Amino acid sequence: METFQGYRRPQGLPGTRNLVAVIPSVFCANTVARRIAEHVAGAVAFCHPVGCSQVGLDLELTARGLKGLGQHPNFYGVVVVGLGCERFRPRELADSIAAAGKPVEMLVIQEEGDTLRAIEKGITFASRLVEEASRQKREAFPLSELSLGLKCGGTDATSGLAANPALGWVTDQIVAAGGRAIFTEVTELIGAESILAGRGKTPQVAGQILTTIGSMEKRLSAATASREVRHRSALISPGNEEGGVTTVAEKALGGIYKAGTGPISGVVAYGQYPEAPGLYLLDCVGHDGEAVTGLVASGCQEVVFTTGRGTPTGFPGVPIVKITGNNATYARMKFNLDFNAGPIMEGATIAEVGMGLLAKVLDIASGEPARAELLGHDELFCITRI
Amino acid sequence: MAKALKINTRDNCAVLLADSKAGDPVEVRTDAGTIRLVARQDIALGHKISLARLEADQPIIKYGEEIGQALEVIEAGDWIHLHNVTCRRGHENQEA
Repeated sequence: METFQGYRRPQGLPGTRNLVAVIPSVFCANTVARRIAEHVAGAVAFCHPVGCSQVGLDLELTARGLKGLGQHPNFYGVVVVGLGCERFRPRELADSIAAAGKPVEMLVIQEEGDTLRAIEKGITFASRLVEEASRQKREAFPLSELSLGLKCGGTDATSGLAANPALGWVTDQIVAAGGRAIFTEVTELIGAESILAGRGKTPQVAGQILTTIGSMEKRLSAATASREVRHRSALISPGNEEGGVTTVAEKALGGIYKAGTGPISGVVAYGQYPEAPGLYLLDCVGHDGEAVTGLVASGCQEVVFTTGRGTPTGFPGVPIVKITGNNATYARMKFNLDFNAGPIMEGATIAEVGMGLLAKVLDIASGEPARAELLGHDELFCITRI
Repeated sequence: MAKALKINTRDNCAVLLADSKAGDPVEVRTDAGTIRLVARQDIALGHKISLARLEADQPIIKYGEEIGQALEVIEAGDWIHLHNVTCRRGHENQEA
């Protein structure tokens, strides 16, 4: 039976990494959070531009995103850094992380006195958590303990022919073994909704899939309606177009291969972890950072990211496995890419290449650094907004 | 000879597996065997070649599904891309 080596957590799935997260509840605490993490090897800061002066669903999405991040299994524990007057209360964040059974410490700059005192206290907290984390050893876990995020970016026509089908094969194996897989990028599912709804496990799920994609299409239609922005109304990127992708529907049909062939168990909201095994659709946009942050905030311990054009990006503390189906891209951007699905373009079978990809996914889950980790790429942390 | 792949039996286009030049013969792999065409323009790896004459407004089928409609008559062997395809999805409110 296939296994990976992970870190056991008090609740939920195991971690594939064992770091300490330093999370500001508001952007005003970013510098303090960053300086704390800079002083403590094994701590990572999650600076962001939100938490202040937001209302309603926008504020709620920030809250859900930061809570989902704080509860994430790849972090042994968390230091929450607040300013003191922000709308998203640091206490709410810290309490949600404690409820997930994890060690959490909180400091509030206005209560500590000043930047220096806040940093000093944060360093003390973070180093103690790192020390505790370091005593933990990896253990073997079955595939059923893995929640894999599925993403594509820098799509070209090889994505739909090679990289996404190979990833779809891996998705099917993980879901069949009782694991979880989550796909998203709802802005790029337009044109594939009837196929996806047909894969809904129940009529309710089929309805949720249609509503989720339908609402996103309405949002896009409204955003592109004005004459003034006609020149900015393309739903796919210039890179997609140069790579041979002509329409958003074509991109969608190639993109859904990464979700394999099995039934879809449900739609999860931003910041929500699936409660049971299966394949899920996460309601989030296609922006690479927002989508990957959404996958992480829904508990994915690892993300496989297919790319035809090639992209170097990474996420702090969560391995992002880059694969391409484009042999020329693999040759050109080799050090940014973990796996080449290009042999499919030359006649290799999807299962052959898929088996190699699954082995790579499990090696990286077990501690082998993904290329984005080796190179220190951390661009993908990006809280979604409306 | 450039090679291309017809992904689904319903498709009316194929994907080039290597760059081809205008006038090049193209060998298309399909479920039902090999079709031979001549590329009417330069078509790059990953881009689409039409397998049949398509009238304006006729759907372009790839992966067995509609990805857009022809803006004009497209001949067999033509490059299919932004210049001769439209897709209204996500743009319903926009004037034509």
